Amino acid sequence: MVSAKTKIVNPMGMHMRPAQLFVKAVTPFPCHVTLVFNGKEINGKSIMNLMAACIKQGAEIEIRCDGDQEAECLQAAVDLVDSGLGE
Amino acid sequence: MRIKDLLRAEGIQLHAAPVDRDQAIDLLVSLQDKAGNLTDPEQYRRDILAREEQGSTAIGNGIAVPHAKSAAVRRPGLAAITVPAGVDYNAPDAQPSTLFFMIAAPKDGGDTHLEILSRMMVMLMDEEFCKALMEAGTAEEFLTCIDRQEREKYPEESGEILPPAQEEKKPQSYRVLAVTACPTGIAHTYMAAEALEKKGQELGIPVKAETQGSGGAKNVLTRAEIKAADAIIIAADKDVDLARFDGKRVLRVPVSEGIHRPEELIRTAPDAPVYHYTGEVAREEEGESFGRQLYKQLMNGVSHMLPFVIGGGILIALAFLLDDASIDYANFGTNTPVAAWFRNIGNAAFNVMLPILAAYIAMAIADRPGLMVGFVGGALAVSGATFAAPAGDSGSVSGFLGALIAGFVAGYLMLGLRTLCDKLPRALEGIKPVLIYPVVGLLLIGLFMCVINPFVGMLNSALYSGLSAMGSGSKILLGFVVAAMMAIDMGGPFNKAAYLFGTSTLATADIAAGGSDVMAAVMIGGMVPPIAIALATTFFKNRFTQEERKSGPVNYVMGLCFITEGAIPFAAADPWRVILSCALGSGVAGALSMLFGCASPAPHGGLFVFPVMHNVLGYVAALAIGSLVGMILLAVLKKKKS
Repeated sequence: MVSAKTKIVNPMGMHMRPAQLFVKAVTPFPCHVTLVFNGKEINGKSIMNLMAACIKQGAEIEIRCDGDQEAECLQAAVDLVDSGLGE
Repeated sequence: MRIKDLLRAEGIQLHAAPVDRDQAIDLLVSLQDKAGNLTDPEQYRRDILAREEQGSTAIGNGIAVPHAKSAAVRRPGLAAITVPAGVDYNAPDAQPSTLFFMIAAPKDGGDTHLEILSRMMVMLMDEEFCKALMEAGTAEEFLTCIDRQEREKYPEESGEILPPAQEEKKPQSYRVLAVTACPTGIAHTYMAAEALEKKGQELGIPVKAETQGSGGAKNVLTRAEIKAADAIIIAADKDVDLARFDGKRVLRVPVSEGIHRPEELIRTAPDAPVYHYTGEVAREEEGESFGRQLYKQLMNGVSHMLPFVIGGGILIALAFLLDDASIDYANFGTNTPVAAWFRNIGNAAFNVMLPILAAYIAMAIADRPGLMVGFVGGALAVSGATFAAPAGDSGSVSGFLGALIAGFVAGYLMLGLRTLCDKLPRALEGIKPVLIYPVVGLLLIGLFMCVINPFVGMLNSALYSGLSAMGSGSKILLGFVVAAMMAIDMGGPFNKAAYLFGTSTLATADIAAGGSDVMAAVMIGGMVPPIAIALATTFFKNRFTQEERKSGPVNYVMGLCFITEGAIPFAAADPWRVILSCALGSGVAGALSMLFGCASPAPHGGLFVFPVMHNVLGYVAALAIGSLVGMILLAVLKKKKS
């Protein structure tokens, strides 16, 4: 398992479009993707779960990838979050 | 920001049939407009479409959430439609969308939009909930579903006071309410609440369950809800404040019933008796007198013990019936294999009868943690364990009175232990019931019983030597004393001393001449209590509870078979009056048996050894008179039950 901590920078937080983008970015990788936010573990490949977590701007999150191609997946996920999730 | 406050009946259309995405959007926009959320529907519609161009707002599972932050929005709001036939909305899972929620968020609404979205997702992740929404027949039903789900997912909010206008608009009418609680308040409380609410939803009977867990009460029932409900289910293994349910139908069951039999509970709750709160204090327990509490705890033990006494007693009686006393008087009841079988099965029930009594007394006091400690305490009272003889000593057996003490001591011990454990860190909550309570409780009750049992042993020896000294004195007085002792504790030191003394006289008695007169007096002393009680339950019914009356007739059989244990449940329920009556009745019978010169060659068997006894007619007369005396005393001493 690999993991990295980062911060949500886009002003609107993890609303629908960012969640869709995130899921689209990590789904091609076979590994499990988990977001840890506020002590909760969230399935990083589920749009609903990501939105349900209500992650706002400035929130610190940890992304964990576990399985095949975990390093590549983590890199892609962190890059996307750091770039502002398309906003 | 609650979903139920954002969505109005006017903003809902069920079973809509738009043919494509654009028609669905048009319909939803018009609903938003009807609900009064928009200033400019046309502008809002353009903003929604612009958002869709960036990517579909369908999220899979048949759900789509078109939304826009728009200057054309007057106030945050929702519109919803269900489309049973489905619309192709370009969902990520390529499934047609059937459930639409359209969000209107003001342009400068900050995080409002994200919060609404998050909340909807938390609720919509539950497939049962989505199914219920799809099946809703009216906008009101749809809203009720949403409100219930929101309360379930955000229980901490439901304690909020709603503005009265809003409450009038959407009155909550849960037909059945529930309160769940377990001693530890970690898992079962919540499992029961969930099972009840889920089952209620399935049955179409709205159920709301308040959880009284270790973290305090959640999803608290409001006064209005209680007023409107048909019935209340209390699924709890600990005391629950019932004052607020005064005048409602209240069904009280263990928490496990809530988990395993939710349907039955929901269906039968409206037939439950109406509960009347009597105490001044909030907690029922504190509202009751201490004596009343003790009585309830005692009766919990007695009612659980009763089946053991009846089942075991009848089987032992059958053993005598099927045996042949002439093979060996001393082993009557186990001489033939068939008799031995019945006798041993019956004994298996008798052996655990007192541990069960103690266990359920302790459980009534300290809930589940008390059960095991009480049971073992009762078992130690039966084995007569002491520090010198940990495996047990027949001289130190304290019988049913010992088991009563063990039950109460175990219960209050565990209650104390629980209070003590409240000071432990929360992290240890989980290991209390699985480690601390059982181990510490067992150690303590073991120590306690081993301390008191030797005193019982001393009492037993003293009584025995007292009887031996009396042996040469007045025969009639001796007959009275041994027979009365048989009835005093029905298996405790008095009973054991008398019985042992009786059997010891058999060794020197002339069996051919009918046996021992002391043995006959001992036996009659053990026969009178069940018969006296059976007579009393027949002729003075109002002195007994429903349950006691029903089990009364069995005591005729047990009494005639010299199975004194039949009297124990009655004696345990009301010790002083029952023991006094029985002991005097037995004493009279024992004295008369001596007076008439009756003698027995066998140490037990009752009616079945009558044929080989000396002066049977006198013996029957003594038994009848003694039993009548016992019955009359019971009728005089025992209070009438309402």
